[in-house]
Amino acid sequence: MMWRASGFRAWLLQRVSAVYMAVYILLFMLHLAFDAPDSYQEWRAWMMLPFIAVASFVFFAMLLTHAWIGLRDVIIDYVHPVGIRFVLLALVAGGLLMLGVWVLRILLMGVS
Amino acid sequence: MRFSIYRYNPETDAAPRMEECELPDSDIAPGMMLLDALRLLKARDETLTFRHSCGEGVCGSDAININGRNGLSCITPLSDLKQPIEIRPLPGMPVIRDLVVDLGQFYHQYRAIKPYLIVHDPEPETEYLQAPEERDQLDGLYECILCGCCSTACPSFWWNPDKFRGPAALLQSYRFLADSRDQATAERLEELEGPYRLFRCHTVMNCVDVCPKGLNPTKAIGQIKKLMLKHMA
Repeated sequence: MMWRASGFRAWLLQRVSAVYMAVYILLFMLHLAFDAPDSYQEWRAWMMLPFIAVASFVFFAMLLTHAWIGLRDVIIDYVHPVGIRFVLLALVAGGLLMLGVWVLRILLMGVS
Repeated sequence: MRFSIYRYNPETDAAPRMEECELPDSDIAPGMMLLDALRLLKARDETLTFRHSCGEGVCGSDAININGRNGLSCITPLSDLKQPIEIRPLPGMPVIRDLVVDLGQFYHQYRAIKPYLIVHDPEPETEYLQAPEERDQLDGLYECILCGCCSTACPSFWWNPDKFRGPAALLQSYRFLADSRDQATAERLEELEGPYRLFRCHTVMNCVDVCPKGLNPTKAIGQIKKLMLKHMA
């Protein structure tokens, strides 16, 4: 079956990203609660463990996707004039992309 | 007993207004429904306009907004209502006069989901057979009387009544998707794809809250999404 438009895929991504984020945040909090790093160096080293780094990267990718679908939904609901809708969607996409670049920079800076 | 009733005649009134009116308590009998009171009010002022037919919650023509909640006036006991009883037409629909609204968009969305069995095989010589368990799948779906209480209580339907199918039409869509005799599952699901027709539902659940027949359109919408997931695989 062909899924041309973005209704079903967007809904599925929203659900999947929500589950991933819930699990990530829970494990992250558990780690902070039971095995909190003593120093900045230790915290940095933990964040740079390959598994944690990849998981964190995926987390932020999911977060941005989730935010995009949610904000897109709000705009589709309430903003009907095509021009304003386009501008708002572009602003949201631009803002989220910038946040993405920023996150990526922080994560990569830690690696180098 | 005091009432506050939405009045609007587009031919003579510049804007809608709320009319305060009263019925003497001697007119109110125990067990009376709101529709009975509306009939008494109409006897005093025959310009008051509202739809009604069967008077027992079967036809669905007397759906109105009662104290801020959609419901059928014929099965709403007067004794349950806080006074003054505020009566308005169904929200979000164009008003034709007083409590009568134009449900054209509602019916358009209903027609769009093809509310009938679609069978690709040659028609059987005898009747279509269905096991009792298969028939059970339609419980909670077939009872809908299309009164419009749910769709006109749905914020997503208020904002996009021309594109979002609305809870009533989606419940009926699932009624045919769930029917063992229907053979158009893929077509039906494909027709609902896209950001508007099905996926404007944000599970607000106003539909479940107001349905006078106690049905659950939100659950039906969830089942449609599950079916889509299955058909994806």
